Amino acid sequence: MTIKLNDVSKSFKSQEKELEVVKDINLTVEDGEFLSLLGPSGCGKTTILRMIAGLDFPSKGDLTENGSPVTGPSPGRGFVFQQYSLFPWRNVLDNIAFGPEVRGMEARERYESARNYIEMVGLTGFEDSYPHELSGGMKQRVAIARALANDPEALLMDEPFAALDVQTRHKLQEELVRIWQEEDKTIIFVTHNVDEAVFLADRVVVLSSSPGEIIKTFKIELERLRDRTSTQFIELKKEITDLVGR
Amino acid sequence: MNKTLISLIIPVILLILWAILTTYTGIIPSYLIPSPSAVWTAFVNLLTNGSLITDTLSTLTRVILGFLIAALIAIPLGVIIGWSKLAQNLSNFIIGVLRPIPPIAWIPFAILWFGVGLGSAIFIIFLGSFFPILINTADGVRRTDKVYIESAYTMGASQLQILKKVYLPAALPNIITGLKVGIGIGLMCTVAAEMIGSDNGLGYLILTSTSMLDSASAIVGMLTIGIIGLGFEYFFRRSERKINW
Repeated sequence: MTIKLNDVSKSFKSQEKELEVVKDINLTVEDGEFLSLLGPSGCGKTTILRMIAGLDFPSKGDLTENGSPVTGPSPGRGFVFQQYSLFPWRNVLDNIAFGPEVRGMEARERYESARNYIEMVGLTGFEDSYPHELSGGMKQRVAIARALANDPEALLMDEPFAALDVQTRHKLQEELVRIWQEEDKTIIFVTHNVDEAVFLADRVVVLSSSPGEIIKTFKIELERLRDRTSTQFIELKKEITDLVGR
Repeated sequence: MNKTLISLIIPVILLILWAILTTYTGIIPSYLIPSPSAVWTAFVNLLTNGSLITDTLSTLTRVILGFLIAALIAIPLGVIIGWSKLAQNLSNFIIGVLRPIPPIAWIPFAILWFGVGLGSAIFIIFLGSFFPILINTADGVRRTDKVYIESAYTMGASQLQILKKVYLPAALPNIITGLKVGIGIGLMCTVAAEMIGSDNGLGYLILTSTSMLDSASAIVGMLTIGIIGLGFEYFFRRSERKINW
């Protein structure tokens, strides 16, 4: 899926004042690309992602997927939220089967497919567990599986690993890269963590804070899985970190 | 010590105090509070002549019917009010005004609309149960976390599916709380409800025994209502615990 943002700006009205959070974004996300939106908190990166998802709409400019304007959420653009968004009243299997269920897939078929995704994210054996019984990392694995279960062309991820400890985060990053390689999805990954962006993405788009504007785009051509201790990795990280202003 | 045992300590102390103050010392004369033994005798009488069973069953029937009708109307209405800002704004004022009116105040209209008898009694209990269920349901739906709604949207759910598969389960704990409070208040309305044209029921038992100065039988009626209420409470608390998320 190719996603195009053309002079996209977004402002929110609050008590008579207009606050511009995103300004003049021009960006094309190529089909199958792993793109990271990087910036300090409050730079509007989540707003950009929400607009791509169809959960918010640009105040100015236009936004298209495969050439047609985005008018609302679509199962073709799966979303993984920052905070835990799993339905607490559904077990793991039923959470993952939600998308296929509302789109009318037969029970047998959707559970079979849900089991495949459970296996893909390494949670076999936890089908009947409820979200409150899972650790933070496991919950985000389920959230990823749930978004994948609709077989979306694009996966939009809003700092999905921000709340996890470093080891778990690194593990999930590696698995995400593996899933991306296997599944051939376009991924847009929002983060404020330079290391994470450099580890994951083909391209890192660095945003300034309020209003969020694109400062610079880095193409990262290191081979995957990337070695965090390699000189190129460390140098790239340093260059981007200096730009973001820590 | 066991929880059930602990919860019985105060009732037993009260029972002993009651016996001392009435039977054994006569500090409180029997026309003010009948002795435990008089209440026991009344209980055995009412049980053996079968009227306690009939009264309990007819009160239960009225309460459950009034409660079920209330739930059937209040839950869908509450979902709509919680879901739509417009419905909330439309109904805010009218609910605010109607809710504080004691069900007993409706008795004249109950008689005009439903005649003397079962219909009126059910209507009074319905009024008692209705608002707690309505308000708790609306509140539960309104408080549904936005992230659940948005994730359902991004997975392709329609408005109606979100209503059924997100709002309703998310509000379920609140709905059960509403039902619990609702049936409790419905039960509190039994005496009022059975003032009109009933010739049985625990409220009726309390009213007639009081008018015949048989306060022991009235206490039997009161305690029976209390125990039924405890039973309902237990039932709903178990359903609440079944929701383990």
